[in-house]
Amino acid sequence: MKRVATIILNRNLPVVTDRLYEHLAKFDGDLTDIFVVEAGSDSNILSKYCTWYAKSPDVMKNGLRYGRGMNFGLLQLFNEGKFEKYDTFFLLTNDTEFKDVSTLAPLVHLLDKHPHVGILSPCSERWGERLLLDKEHTKYFWFIHNNAYLLRREFIEMICDKEHPDIMGFLFDGSNFRGYGCEHELVAKAYANDWAAAITTDVWVAENESHLLENADQIKTQGYEENLQLYLDEGRHWMRKKYGFNSHWSMQQYVKSFYDKFFEFHPECLKHKV
Amino acid sequence: MIHQRLQSFLQSRRCTLLGVGPMSVNCVDATVELANEHEVPILMIASRRQIDSEEFGGGYVNNWSTQEFARYVTDKDKKGKILLARDHGGPWQSTKEKDAKLGLRRAMDSAKSSYRADISAGFQVLHIDPSVDIYGQPDVDEVLDRVFDLYDYCWAQAQQSRQEIIFEVGTEEQSGSTNSQEELDYILNAIKKFCTQSKIPQPTFVVIQCGTRVMEMRNVGSFDSPVRVANEIPAEIQLPKMIEICNRHGILMKEHNTDYLSDDALQWHPRLGIHAANVAPEFGVAESKALVNILEVSGLAHLADRFLKIAFDSNKWEKWMIDNTSATDRDRSLIAGHYVFSSPMCIELKIEAAKELAKKGLDLELHLKEQVKQSILRYFRNFRLLRTV
Repeated sequence: MKRVATIILNRNLPVVTDRLYEHLAKFDGDLTDIFVVEAGSDSNILSKYCTWYAKSPDVMKNGLRYGRGMNFGLLQLFNEGKFEKYDTFFLLTNDTEFKDVSTLAPLVHLLDKHPHVGILSPCSERWGERLLLDKEHTKYFWFIHNNAYLLRREFIEMICDKEHPDIMGFLFDGSNFRGYGCEHELVAKAYANDWAAAITTDVWVAENESHLLENADQIKTQGYEENLQLYLDEGRHWMRKKYGFNSHWSMQQYVKSFYDKFFEFHPECLKHKV
Repeated sequence: MIHQRLQSFLQSRRCTLLGVGPMSVNCVDATVELANEHEVPILMIASRRQIDSEEFGGGYVNNWSTQEFARYVTDKDKKGKILLARDHGGPWQSTKEKDAKLGLRRAMDSAKSSYRADISAGFQVLHIDPSVDIYGQPDVDEVLDRVFDLYDYCWAQAQQSRQEIIFEVGTEEQSGSTNSQEELDYILNAIKKFCTQSKIPQPTFVVIQCGTRVMEMRNVGSFDSPVRVANEIPAEIQLPKMIEICNRHGILMKEHNTDYLSDDALQWHPRLGIHAANVAPEFGVAESKALVNILEVSGLAHLADRFLKIAFDSNKWEKWMIDNTSATDRDRSLIAGHYVFSSPMCIELKIEAAKELAKKGLDLELHLKEQVKQSILRYFRNFRLLRTV
């Protein structure tokens, strides 16, 4: 039985998605099953590895984006009775790129080595965080901004909505469509439930933004600038409505308070504190 | 006393202290008046390019020498609210030292001479910044040796003239990226050891890179950016850690290049525990914009165009431009405007403009000062420097 379920979110970029699928199959095929969510892609340009095709009128028009897309994939596994078979879930957008080595073996090894970690993120060579991971390659953070997370099943089980499972709220809050602030919320939920969120430089990841910059029409999304503005506007509105926070700094303080508390109860983890 | 005064003000107000660059006479006047009106201590942070001793030919701000500038400010500052501060003192921080390609020893002597003039003029805050070296990038220990040499020298000078001074340290460059936590800890430990051994008070401020960086007329650092800035530690991670280290060492944290941050970002400064923040070019640009605007709306567009041309031709905008910028020539002129306020051509132009505007019942300099005040007041409000009833 493979330990990892990888979910790749795609919208109208079959070549890019297939390349990522094949990369993972080649280097990590023994560790992971790979599932591709087609988020309202045109029916004639689906990935050849498409697992599930979300094609309701709304999804065809707007896509799913990260939160709803991952909820959709996880929910499929849940409904198909496969969810509990996996130890961890690797959630990726199709523009994620890895080096030509195994990605998951070191990540799974790290999860085994760090039993308190519920969220594990590979680092990018473009992130300043790598400077903090010079000596010790894996540390626990209160802020992780990424589109490639490895999540431990026990952590997901602790916070997911099993009672009313749907794509709007199974794990991520789908009401925040483009997701600005959702990663903070996920990290807060981790520390609030005694799980840590780590970044590691044992595995490198890159997000190839050129797909969004150059293929916005094909993906059927807004251009980069417009998309960014909507991402911020929607996220800020969501933060205010849900938490009463008028600034992302409030959200940060909120997450950090849980982070600091975590180490009070887990002094053995202090060596991994940033 | 100065250190305690600032500490106690910070504690009682839970605010962020403001450092204002003296970008022009109007900017100096606006700052002094606001500090006195609101009874708030303000650091007037003069770089060596803005204000320097006579020996170095003064600076570009009103062609003032250190002595003249200090006298002007202290005469106006009736309630003694302004702290005269040297920003980025140190070797090769003066264009003259760079142009003359001075060697290390002469550049250090030259920096000491500039500091001596500062102390003699009554400057109270000295930023010791020997991070510039035109012959290469000195390592952290070499920089520290230079810090100790200058620190010791300035302290001895101040003692001799029975003057109270406080120090700011920090090897800041406008990279927007970040000093590492280990490096900051190392530097503060080394300085603490030096101060204890030499029986000199510890520095009051340390400059921390908080993810702020000014280019053109905006802040392009990570502090106010909702998306990642390549190769920078997100401010959300960097800031709390650096503040933690500063608090552990009992030293106040100072942010440079704070210009153009949003109100939201500024409002979080006191809450995050940023003790002080420097703002400079934004106020110069505010005045340039105000000048061009008043001329244009008053039917004096030809004078506005003349000012824009003088500023553009100065090329002082060059160092502020982003690669592959889409900035217009007008933008470039506005960026460079304050560098030419004291040029004979600009003085002449402003006299002519003032005469024309006076006919319409407008006092040009008063108008410009008010506009700069509004710009400074944005920081007063967001930094909790205004008394709340």
